[in-house]
Amino acid sequence: MSLQIIKQFNEHTIQWEVELVGDADIQTSGRLKDELNAMLDENESNMQLNCERLTYIDSTGLGVLIGILKRVKTKEKNIYIMNAQSNMKKLLSITGLDKIFVIV
Amino acid sequence: MVDNVTITLPSKAEFVSVARLTASVIANTMGFDFEEVEDIKVAVGEACNNAVIHSRSDEYFGINFTVSNGTFVAEIEDKGYGFSLDHYETPDLNNHKENGLGLFIMKSLMDDVQVFTEIGNGTRIVLTKYLE
Repeated sequence: MSLQIIKQFNEHTIQWEVELVGDADIQTSGRLKDELNAMLDENESNMQLNCERLTYIDSTGLGVLIGILKRVKTKEKNIYIMNAQSNMKKLLSITGLDKIFVIV
Repeated sequence: MVDNVTITLPSKAEFVSVARLTASVIANTMGFDFEEVEDIKVAVGEACNNAVIHSRSDEYFGINFTVSNGTFVAEIEDKGYGFSLDHYETPDLNNHKENGLGLFIMKSLMDDVQVFTEIGNGTRIVLTKYLE
């Protein structure tokens, strides 16, 4: 229904720290894609995604994360998924995405 | 005893959550557990995503939920462009693409998935889950 993207660039660890709040679905994934790409335009670094308050994600949201992962991998960086809720963990496992993202 | 719930929604992204919420309330009322309700919500959401993505402009799509004795069925139907099942490739889970996971996810989360589609003639997806 809605998605809040709270972002901060950590100058010490040199990585983006992002919190996703709400739903990453067909309605919000376009904006999610634009905002994550804009962050990487600014700094092509590792990205930490805190998903503790991400209550819903589906293939459209996962598709965005896959695209972003491909981008950071070209610079030998990584995406760290933190605090995923059980529904997100299940989807990551079913789709094999738990093998390509670093799940913390 | 069979109960039917039918809703018609504009083929727009912002209405998919209406379908998801309706599906989860019905599933919850039927007695599915928390995880099963989530599974149903995601699967119905994916089918609705499909309807919206393949729609023509100014279109509506329909969902019919059937509740009968421990069987949940959601039938999502649209009159959009359809897609080619012959050209559908099961996702390679070692080489992920940004698109194409929806059908795979539906099949993983539901007990049965039937897809009827034809280019130019819309799509009907029937999702079934059984209460243990």
